[in-house]
Amino acid sequence: MDITNIIDSLHPLEIKVLMSLGTRPPGTALEREQLAEAAELEPSQLSMAIEWLLAKTLITVHKETVTPIVSLTKTGEEYFQAAAPIERVLALARDATSTGKRLTIPDLQSQGGLDPSDVSKAVGRLKKEGVLLIIQGGCIETTGRPSSTADTLRALLGQLHESPKELNGFTETDRQVVEDYAVKRGNAKEPFRVDERVTRSFVLSPSGTRAVEQLMTQGSVEEVSQLSPELLKDGSWRQKRFRKYTISLRAPRVGTGKKHPYREFLDTVKAKLVSMGFLEMRGALVETEFWNMDALFMPQFHPARDIHDVYFVKHPTHASMADESILSKVGQVHENGGKTGSSGWGYAFDLQRAKRLVLRSQGTAVSARTLAASPNIPGKYFSIARCFRYDQVDATHATDFFQVEGIVLGEDINFRTLLGLLNLFAHEVAQAKEVKFLPAYFPFTEPSVELHVRHPRLGWMELGGAGLFRPEVTMPLGVTVPVIAWGLGLDRMAMVALGIHDIRELFTDNLELIRTTRGLF
Amino acid sequence: MPTISIFKDDFEFLLAGTRNTTRTVSIEQVEEWLMLVKGELKGHNPDTGELRIELQDSNRPDLWCCEGIARQIRIKQQGKMAQYPFLTGKTKPKAKIMVKPGIEQVRPYVAACAARGYQVTSQGLAQLIQTQEKLAEIFGHKRKTVSIGIYQLSKITFPVTYELVQPGEARFTPLGMETVMTLSEMLMVHPKGLEYGGILAGASHVPILRDAADKPLSFPPIINSREVGEVQVGDDQLFVEVTGTDLPMVVLTLNIFAANLADRGATIEPILVEYATRTSLGKRVTTPQDLRKNKTISIHTIEQALGQQLGLKVVKQALEVYGYEVAVRKGSVRVKLPPYRQDLMHTMDVVEDVAMSRGYADFTPVMPAQFTVGGLSRIEHVSDRARELMVGLGFQEIISNILGSPEQYSGQMRIDDTEWGQMVKVDNVMTLNFSCLRQWMLPSLLRIEAASSRAFYPHRLFEAGDVAIPDGTHELGSRTETVLGAVIAHATAHFSEIHSCLDTLFYHLGREYRLEPVPHPSFLEGRAGRILIEGKPIGIIGEVHPEVLERWQITMPVVAFDLNLSQLINQG
Repeated sequence: MDITNIIDSLHPLEIKVLMSLGTRPPGTALEREQLAEAAELEPSQLSMAIEWLLAKTLITVHKETVTPIVSLTKTGEEYFQAAAPIERVLALARDATSTGKRLTIPDLQSQGGLDPSDVSKAVGRLKKEGVLLIIQGGCIETTGRPSSTADTLRALLGQLHESPKELNGFTETDRQVVEDYAVKRGNAKEPFRVDERVTRSFVLSPSGTRAVEQLMTQGSVEEVSQLSPELLKDGSWRQKRFRKYTISLRAPRVGTGKKHPYREFLDTVKAKLVSMGFLEMRGALVETEFWNMDALFMPQFHPARDIHDVYFVKHPTHASMADESILSKVGQVHENGGKTGSSGWGYAFDLQRAKRLVLRSQGTAVSARTLAASPNIPGKYFSIARCFRYDQVDATHATDFFQVEGIVLGEDINFRTLLGLLNLFAHEVAQAKEVKFLPAYFPFTEPSVELHVRHPRLGWMELGGAGLFRPEVTMPLGVTVPVIAWGLGLDRMAMVALGIHDIRELFTDNLELIRTTRGLF
Repeated sequence: MPTISIFKDDFEFLLAGTRNTTRTVSIEQVEEWLMLVKGELKGHNPDTGELRIELQDSNRPDLWCCEGIARQIRIKQQGKMAQYPFLTGKTKPKAKIMVKPGIEQVRPYVAACAARGYQVTSQGLAQLIQTQEKLAEIFGHKRKTVSIGIYQLSKITFPVTYELVQPGEARFTPLGMETVMTLSEMLMVHPKGLEYGGILAGASHVPILRDAADKPLSFPPIINSREVGEVQVGDDQLFVEVTGTDLPMVVLTLNIFAANLADRGATIEPILVEYATRTSLGKRVTTPQDLRKNKTISIHTIEQALGQQLGLKVVKQALEVYGYEVAVRKGSVRVKLPPYRQDLMHTMDVVEDVAMSRGYADFTPVMPAQFTVGGLSRIEHVSDRARELMVGLGFQEIISNILGSPEQYSGQMRIDDTEWGQMVKVDNVMTLNFSCLRQWMLPSLLRIEAASSRAFYPHRLFEAGDVAIPDGTHELGSRTETVLGAVIAHATAHFSEIHSCLDTLFYHLGREYRLEPVPHPSFLEGRAGRILIEGKPIGIIGEVHPEVLERWQITMPVVAFDLNLSQLINQG
């Protein structure tokens, strides 16, 4: 790696260590303690910095020395506070000798509260030193000579209680005692422990030396991690360096404000329709059967009108329509065609039934109301209307859904302009270049067309249905020009764009899914 | 919109018609032809040759069978009308049905014919049964308006009588049963009696068809006699009857059956029906009967509707190969539908048939040329502005069902039996989960919150959409209004946090508002406010009551507002 890049990536701790070495004569090796003092670092900070610098080979290990260190074990501390077994044995023996009592090995064990192994080790050692004698009958007597082991041990316990010491700092005799009384494998109950302490000293590597030179030439520019208002106010940012970040790390998560992906899809459709000259219509969720069906020339005996297809309102059951004139006009068309030139359905129209309240089952209800409210001629209208069908809910049927529908009124409206409009929808809404027009059936249009398009990703699909409103629909509502009624079936397109396979997911309650779904429109 | 099942070789046989040269057709070809009948191929089993076809046109019951589909295509292929001599009125009926007084109270009309010389094949029988079912079910409104019976002609002694009888008095063995039963027993026990008995509800006397030897044929519209009314493969003499409440529909249904059997090679013998009282077709009605009327249409009307100059000759030819009888007059055509159709209500019906016969591909699309200005409604405009602002305030948009449950919209909100808990409810409830319309937005958002405790916090959610607010003064009993709801949920969610959002929203919508303390059961007392514009309440804001959160099983504090945008634009 380039030395400049290395320098830029250095942490302030690393710089402190490097400079501690670099400000001394070349080749100076410093140990941990010396470095800690020079760089003014806590041991943990120093350790981190040394690890990082070694990894970057800016410093190397100069010398590694191994020093044996003696310290007291828990047992040693107990001996220091009370007495070592050898001292107890000696004291008991001296006491027995001076008072002339008989003292045997088992006596030592019971009186001294000592382990048999400790007793035998102490007795063996004292006997060898000529401090004790075993006389006839297994009795122990002292000779009156002092025990150098006991004395040395006491002195060592005292010194090591203060702090651990280097083994090599002791005399030959002391070292021998330490070795005899140190924890070894298979004998953990000893007063001393000898550990090896590894001491390393560090020197700058050649690249470390270059790095230091570089750091020196940069001068005493202080590195900061964060730009602050203070730095900006007094312009002191110019004297600072900004530590570079590791920018390849994964970003932390952030909460977002975002439109719902399905609404976003509908918004694009809405924008398209407005751009094509369509005015938005609004309607009510609760409608009369009249506007939902009768006005659309669906006979009152039509199978799609029974209780298995439409939701009826519980209360009030019927609308309070003061003006029944439009109802009777439409009713007459149902009965005998009225003045529309139609023969009508030939049944007795029920005015009461027409006032029955239902949950809007088709967006065309909104169009029917627009027709009756003196629409613009020429005029284009659309609505994105929530509709309700009495369906069992499953992956392809929702009981509550959007319908995109509308009308086009004008003197120039005919079958061919109907096809032209559908062509436009195919291009604008589905980006399709190929279209097919199939004959279709809707109760309120004649002729009726189904629009199939070859979608760039979905292949052939039904995009919508349309037709010319029957005169039985338009004339009683006061419209005398031809009217196109159209509807677009966009759910499948939306589902593909959102990558879902179940229509229920359009209204999902899974927040994580809503937040992470990308709309590809 | 029925879906029917036909067999390809049967279809090919019918397609050949009087020509005895059956030709194999490809599935692609079938699919293309189906455009002529508004049909869509839904499935094809190459092993059995079965085709599943959905027929769209609910006014063309003649097409809901193999014979009808083949006929429509055959006429176009062969360029000539099917001939049905039994409809000319020249064949004198040899047999008779006597209709007795009283039946007009229950099921007034009957039509019937005999068919000889067609030996029923298994596919032919399957079609007969399917057509009978589809016509009675869909065209006949579940047998209420029309029902059909087919019998072995040889077992019937004419004249047949159609009359009322006390259900306890008459008896026979119905189809599907082993033993003799009275009609009342059939209504109580037989599956068809249970299914269709409702049609006769309230009638003390019920219809029966009996022959001259007093042998029951059928208990319309419930079930046929097993002895007479069980047609089998190999039978070559049939009797078909249709009963119902609408005479033109009853006659049309019989015409369709007669045409279908004639297409299969049967000779149709009309039957005279003698009514006790006069019907719209007279007292003595021979069936099948041609009920067609002439209609004269100016060529201008057709050309204007289609947007294309076609000329009389082209229109005449197009209609003829679609089954019409056509006579050309000066500047107009006089047309007559084929006898198996009755769906001509308006000139526009003929216009569509011209287009279908020519093929929609024959018409070049033309863009509507007149200029119009597009735009959004005022409420949509305001709603979109509010949505943009909410997104800017860091809220995630939600869409929910509007149809939901009273438990969610009111019960869990602690507002049952309060002014806030009024809702538009459904009468014919399918499931309680979808039984009322939401009257405010907060429950829709709590629904998400309840399901999303494991989603990364904080949660800031909003939805702008329609609600239905009950209103006795409104014509429809309720007002549909657009409402904006928002919630914030996290460990330290606080009133001031949602208040700031509301405040910013109002600032950018350019409106002055005021909050006024309100006790609302969904919110903590003393931490809820009515949102007022020019003194009128248009919403509510507050910290959601812990008991509400408990009922939703939400374990995070939630603050919320619910703002009626329709009221916002209505106030000034």
